[in-house]
This record gives sequence, structure tokens and C-alpha cells, in this order.
Amino acid sequence: MEKLIIGEHIMKSFGEGEEQQIVLNRISIEIGEGEFISVMGPSGSGKSTLMHIISGLDRMDGGRVTFNNRSLVDMGENELSDMRRREMGFVFQQPTMLHNLNILDNIILPSMRDNRKEVANLVEKARYLMKKVGILELEKRSITEVSGGQLQRAGICRSLMNRPKIVFGDEPTGALNSKSAEEIMDIFSEINKEGTAVMMVTHDAKVAARTERVLFMRDGKVLDEIKLPKFDGKDIERRVEYVTEKMLEIGI
Amino acid sequence: MYKRIILNDFLRSKIISLTTIIFVAAAAMLVSLAAMLVVNLSGALDTLMKEAKTPHFMQMHSGDIDLERLEAFAEQNSNVDEYQVLEFLNIDGTQIVLGENSLANNVQDNGLSVQSEKFDFLLDLNGKVINVSDGELYVPVSYMRDNTTKIGDKAVIEGKEFTVVGFLRDSQMNSSLSGSKRFLVSKNDYDELKNHGNMEYLIEFRLKDVSQIGEFENAYASEGLEANGPAVTYQLFKLMNALSDGLLIAIILLVSALVVAIAFMCIRFALLTKIEGDYREIGVMKAIGLRISDIKKMYLAKYAMISALGCVVGFGLSLILKDMLLENIKLYMGESNNTLLALLLAIIGILCLFLTIIVFVNILLRRFREISAAEAIRFGSTQQKSLGARRVTLGRNRFMNTNIFLGMKDVLGRKRLYVTSLAVLVFSVFIIIVPQNLYNTISSDKFTQNMGVGNYDMRIDIQQTDNIHEKTSEIVEAITNDNSITRFTVLTTKTFQVSVKDGIEENMKVELGDHSIFPIEYSKGRAPITEEEIALSTIYADEWSKNVGDKIILTVEDVETELMVSGIYSDITNGGKTAKAVFQDSSSDVMWNIISAEFTNKTSVDKKISEYVNEFDFAKVSGIDEFVNQTFGSTILSVKKASYVAIAIALIITILVTLLFLKLLIVKDRYNISVMKAFGYTNKDITLQYTSRSVFVLIIGIILGTVLANTLGEQLAGMVISSFGASTFKFSVDVLPSYVFSPIMMICAVLIATIIGTMGIRRINITENMKE
Repeated sequence: MEKLIIGEHIMKSFGEGEEQQIVLNRISIEIGEGEFISVMGPSGSGKSTLMHIISGLDRMDGGRVTFNNRSLVDMGENELSDMRRREMGFVFQQPTMLHNLNILDNIILPSMRDNRKEVANLVEKARYLMKKVGILELEKRSITEVSGGQLQRAGICRSLMNRPKIVFGDEPTGALNSKSAEEIMDIFSEINKEGTAVMMVTHDAKVAARTERVLFMRDGKVLDEIKLPKFDGKDIERRVEYVTEKMLEIGI
Repeated sequence: MYKRIILNDFLRSKIISLTTIIFVAAAAMLVSLAAMLVVNLSGALDTLMKEAKTPHFMQMHSGDIDLERLEAFAEQNSNVDEYQVLEFLNIDGTQIVLGENSLANNVQDNGLSVQSEKFDFLLDLNGKVINVSDGELYVPVSYMRDNTTKIGDKAVIEGKEFTVVGFLRDSQMNSSLSGSKRFLVSKNDYDELKNHGNMEYLIEFRLKDVSQIGEFENAYASEGLEANGPAVTYQLFKLMNALSDGLLIAIILLVSALVVAIAFMCIRFALLTKIEGDYREIGVMKAIGLRISDIKKMYLAKYAMISALGCVVGFGLSLILKDMLLENIKLYMGESNNTLLALLLAIIGILCLFLTIIVFVNILLRRFREISAAEAIRFGSTQQKSLGARRVTLGRNRFMNTNIFLGMKDVLGRKRLYVTSLAVLVFSVFIIIVPQNLYNTISSDKFTQNMGVGNYDMRIDIQQTDNIHEKTSEIVEAITNDNSITRFTVLTTKTFQVSVKDGIEENMKVELGDHSIFPIEYSKGRAPITEEEIALSTIYADEWSKNVGDKIILTVEDVETELMVSGIYSDITNGGKTAKAVFQDSSSDVMWNIISAEFTNKTSVDKKISEYVNEFDFAKVSGIDEFVNQTFGSTILSVKKASYVAIAIALIITILVTLLFLKLLIVKDRYNISVMKAFGYTNKDITLQYTSRSVFVLIIGIILGTVLANTLGEQLAGMVISSFGASTFKFSVDVLPSYVFSPIMMICAVLIATIIGTMGIRRINITENMKE
């Protein structure tokens, strides 16, 4: 498997002087193409910050990250924007949508930046994705008129519009009930099956159990990791048990 | 604790706080200035008119005078306190040289007077009654103002040498609106020159009961006493003296009202944004049991400080600036005795402003009541329901750049938010265009036609001279033989008695002759053609409630003649009270003749005019430009200056408000901006979105502002112009400056403000702002 992201000795801290708090302490991480990986840890362990840095949403204080053989440190703001827009997808815990656009417009928003003239194709593609996740009838709704689960599906559609190499999910099921969470995870599994790498940040063992590799973090460090076979819809309880045991073992 | 909260808040939003302070300061300054000016003007005016003992009624008269009859009238009339007849020796402008400047081209009637003995004194610049010695000359203060002369200059009047030893305040004739100016000389010098000019009499009365002026005026008129000239009352003297500074005060009050409105809009927007930003905190404070009044206090304290600071700065500025604005009042009218009252009133004005702001903020803070603690903590922001502009969707946008589209869509979707800045832009466009159009209009030829002056090249006034008739014929003959003159006309002005209401008669100046040669614009009807017709100036028509088709009765050759009003026109000449007719009359004395002429070759007009000036030194020959320039050149100049000042003010306001608005908007939108950034929109993209919002709002502002300027603005300007005697008013627009350069200037101002205002976009950190 080719390496898509390589992070080495990533350092990140917030605050200054005595109040300085080290959030990421020389972390190294690798993500392969098409891989399905999750990062677990308690609040404040640094898992979201790690995701933000390897995706170029935030800058690191030290270390090195390459995406598709390009160093993020060497990239300017515009290059980072282009990279996020063209090669990455994002799904956050809270639906990050613009209030003044309807669902369809929110979904095509990132791709409109480059492909305005192909708007008809974009709309068609968005509808295809919306149908796939079961929200086609909501395209004209305002984002305040749909449920959290529906919004999250719309967020997934948006993340897939540009055929990204990787989709980052920052607690994508954190604000959902268990049924919606499961449905969302089914969609992520589907995306991964089609060849897109997925990186999840979660503190939910059920979510992590669906992935192929789980990293465990605490206090800005990766303490351990486990590998799991590709999820085929079976044995979820056993997988969850395995992840939970590991968590207890490490003490997170 | 409040101090710390306010200070922190202040430092966090420096530009927003500063801009608000600037607007409050500007509003406070203007309010304070207006208060000080009003008190000083009325104080100084009262002092001047008291010291000078201005007459309560004054009739100017030229021609024969029956002093005994007047004396008898004054004795009989129980209301007369004091009475006198002063002489005013009208000297032709060409015969007055002050220093190096001749008054040859001056449109004022300049003349000599001696100091009065009873009342109507001429005062020096210290407000004292002047005692003048032989060889000394006191010059009207307006000639000091326009630098015509200075103390120590040599003056030559009708060949006699004088030394300018000082300037005088004339409570009657100070104002440029008054057509005459009195120079003060000693009795001996006056007697020496007495035969060199035309004698006019000022028949003056001081009354016991000033409120009875109207009745006295009627009594004077009905006695058929000397009345060959205008009559002026105390109130009119007061009005003329107060008018120019009064206009300034009115403008300042108007601008201050607008600035106060802008300051309020700024405060409203800043406060609402702040509340939105602090939504969660407010909810938490409510949830932990703080009372709404406690929470309100924190916000109120900040605005109380901002307003207090603004008010203090504004007051300080007004103290610095007041002398500049009071200069004119002080020069023409002297010191006011009400300095303390002026300060007091200014402070009261500013306190009112301060309290209004506090009340306004208090009203805005009422919405705290609507904030649900639970909702605020859960969502952290107001749950907007409908956002409008639903049909404008990105999915249907095929032609427009996505960023520009998003900017415009946002404006349509959040209209209420943009109303503030739109209002400011509309206002800015309005105050740029209206003075500019007004200037264009009053400086155009069309306007002079509108104002009762026909479109000719040369005007020859023959008045205050003996044998007007012969002298006119002499000039007419020269003109008839002059090949360079294409057409001309002679208009003769005579006074006739007109019956206005039951038994009340008035003197009316009627211009007789052919009015079709250099036609003027009639606001209603047309020029008189038959002998039974007469056209009235707007002021006469209004005063007597006459309309086209109505009849008026004139005494012509001792016979009461009924004339029909054929038209009504605007007029600025002769105080706006004129009439035009074509009938023949040989009985009344000619007051003056005006010969208007047009030249074939427009390039040699100046040369021809100077030829006529040299040839006919008894007449006042002027080019039409010169005439217009002197009649209301200073008004044109003031409007021109005002239009430049308005442009500067409008641009500054535009830049400040746009800057403030964008800063606030970006703080408010930081979540949306970080979402955009996260999904790959660059800083440049987002800046373009905000720029297109600004430009879109600006374009709407320019359109609305232009429409308003041409409707409401035109009406407003018309109101100003009507004070000169105009009835109809239409803007004559110079397209390039009004509709090309002005919008370009506005666009540049908005772009500059947008570039500076959107710099903050770069600093918005995605991960910090996406945390809900």
C-alpha cells in the first residue's frame, strides 16, 4: 500500500510561557492509500489537533508532514486550500454548513470554486450522492429544516464531491443517536470500499471497531495501535470488545 | 470589575470602538457648535441692533421730498417715538477708489452718509458710535471681509482724497442681501461732495410699540407719503442680518442630525454583533442566575464610556472650531453678551445627545429578554429561521463567478444586516450629488433665465441720473448704429400704485417694454403681450395670492386700470418684487432704464463692453456674466465650496462606515469564513466575496442615492433656491461629474475600505472558529 500521509515528530502546543500546553508531543503517523483508520482518545488527548494538522487545517510547531509526497510545511495558504478542496474531504461533528445556502448548494460549494462552468454536472453528481445516502428529497431545504443525521449525510456528500483521496471525519457520529450513527458509519465503510482512505477521530469504540487500524492517544502521544481485518458487516460485537479491552489496558 | 471588562473589550475591538467614538464626537461637536452659533448670533444681533438703535421702519426715497408733511405725519401718529430723515448720497461706483481697488464693477449702491444724531448709528468694530473727523473715511465692513481695502489706505471719492481710518457696522445695510452700502464721512466733507451724487433719503421711524409695525406701515402707505424706493421694517433688517449665518446654522443642524443617525446606526450594528458573539455567555449568565439588569449594565457601561469620551472630545473640538465659525458673526455684528449661555446650551445639547445614546443602547439591550438560556447554551447563536433569497441558488448559477455570486446572495439573504451600510451609502451619494447638481444648476445660463434675467450679453443700467430719457436715447442711438449688436431692448421701470386688498395700496415697480426680445422662463403662464396684461414675480404673486388669469388694479395716469395676470416668473433682482407689462405710460417718473443687448461675436464681448463703459460713464455697463457673478456669485461660490466639502465628508463617512461594517461583519461571520476555508476556499476567494458584497450594496446605494438626489434632493434644493425668489426649479445635470466621477470616487472609497476591512480574513483560524 502506497503511503498517502506521512507525519514525523509532529509538535503542537497552545498558549505561551507558563500557560503553554503541549498538545502533540513528537507524534509520527502514516496513512496508506485506501486505508480506514481511526484515532481514539479521551478529551484533550490531541486526536482532533492531529487530524487538523495532517489535513492542513492548522499549522504545526515542529516536525514534518507530507501528503502525496508534498510537504505541508512548504505549502502556502493557497496551496493548502487547493489541496483540501481537490484531494481531501471533511466531515465534522457539528454540521459545518453555511446558513444562507440550501442543502444542495452547500454540497456543491467546494467544487464550484474550480468547476463553475460544469455546474450541471456538479448538480447531477450531488444528486447521485444524495440519493445514495438517502437525502435526495431534501436538496432545496434550508439547513435549519433538517435533522442532525440528515445534515451529516449532506456533509458526507459534500466531502465526496471532488473524489478525494482521503475523507477526514472528526467525531462525525458524536452528535447523533445510535441508529443514525450506524447508518453514517455504513456510508463511510462504503466510501472506503470504493478506494477512498478514511481517517476517523472518535471516542466511540463502536465507531473505531469498524476501521482497520485504531491508534490510541493520550496527552499528545500515540500510546499504542491495533489492526483489525476489513469489516464485512459481521462480528461487530467482537470487534468492539477487542477495542474496549485495549482501551482498558492502556487506561484511556 | 466593569472597568476590566470594558478595557478588555475595548482593546479587543479597537477599530470598532474608535470609529464609534469618532462618530459620537462628530455629532457632539456639531450639536455643540450649532447651539453656540445660535446663541451667539441672536446675542450679537440683538446687541448690534440695540447699540445702533436700528429704525423700526425705514422708507427709502429718491426724488422730491416734503419734509414738513413727513414731520406732521410723525407728530400726528401716536405710535412714533422718534423720527428722522437721513441723507444717503449715492455715488457711482466708478467714482469710488479704495486703495488700489475701484468699485466700478460693484453692483451695490454705494453712497456717503454722515453720522446720525438720534438713532440708526453707524458703529465701529468695537460697537461704539463713530465720531468721524474731516478727511477720514469709514468703510462698510463687507469691504474688509472681501479685502477690497484696509485701514490706512488712501481713498478717492469723486476726486476728493480720504484716508480709510476704520470699518463700520451698519445695522441696516451690513448684509450682502441689502443692495446699498453706507460710507461714513464728516459733515464738512459730505457738504463738499453733496452735488456730485444722487440724493436718496432714508425716512426713518422708531416706534413706541414695535408690535404695531404692520399697522404703521399701512398708515404710512395710505397717507401717500414719499415712497419712491423700498420700505424695510425692523424684522426684515433682523432677518437680512441673520440670514447668511442662519443658513450656516441650519446646515450644521442638518449635518449633525445625519451624523447622529450614523452614530446610532454604528452603535446598533456594533452592539447587535457583540450580543450575537456573546450569545452563549449571555445565556450562561442568565442560567447561573444573573438578572437581566446586571448583564445589561456591562454593555451599557461600555457604551456610556464610549459616548462620554466622544462627547468630551466633540465638545473640545467645538471649542477649538467655534472661533472660526463665529468670525463672521463677530465681524459683522460684534461680540455677543451671551458667551456663558452659549456654553451652557452647548453642554445641555451634548448631554441630551449622551442621554439619547444611553436610552438607545438600553432599548437595543431589551433583546436580552428574548434570549433563552437553554437555547443559547445549546446552539451558541441565534437560530435564524428564514433567510430569504431562496430562489437564488448556486446550483442555477452558470455565468457568475462563484465568489461574486456568494457575496451577492448573502446581501439578498441578510437584507436587514446590510440596511445600515446601504443607508449610509445612499446618504453619501445623496450629499455628493445634490450640492454638485445645485452648483451646476445655479451656474448655468438656463438658471439666470429662470431667475428673471434674460439671455443677453450686455446690460446697461441707467439710474440715479438726471434726464434718464435723453441719456437712454443717446445710448439707444449708439446701439442702433453698432453693427456688432444683433438685437437689444429697453426696459423702463416705473412705480405704480396697486390696490391689493380693500383700500390698501402699495407701490409696485413695473418693468415696461418689449419682453419678448430676451425672454425669461415663466413658471406659470407667459409674458405679457397686450396692454391689458401684466406678469408678476413669484414673491408678489404669493404675497397677493394671485394666479394666472386673476385681475389686479393699477393706477396708470391717474386712472384705475384693470390688468390680467398673464404669467408668473422667478426673480432675484430688486428683492424679488417685480412685475412686467407692455402698456404705455407717460405720467410716472422713470426709476431706471435697463438696456439689454446681444452681440454677434461672442468672443469680443468683453472688448465691446469696455468700449461702452468708456463711452457712457453715466451708466452702469456690465457683462451678463459679471452681473450674475456679482448678484449671486458669492452664493455660487459657497455652493461650490459646499459641494467639495460634501464630497470630502461623504467619502470619509463612506470609508469609515464601510470599514466598520466589514470589521463587524467579519467578526460575525468568522464561523462561516472558517467553514469556507476548511473546504478549500482561499483568503483571496473570501476577500472577493466580501468585496462583491460591498460593491453590490454600493451599486444599489448609488442607484437609490441618485434617484433620491434627483427627486427629494431637487425639492430640497428648490426650497433653498425659492428663498431667492425662484418658483420652479429643475436640476441641470452635468453627467460626467455627477454620474461618472462621483460613483467612481465612491467605488474607490469602498474598495479601499474593503481592502483594509477584509484584512482580518487572513487571521481567522479555521480550527479555533469551527468549534461550535
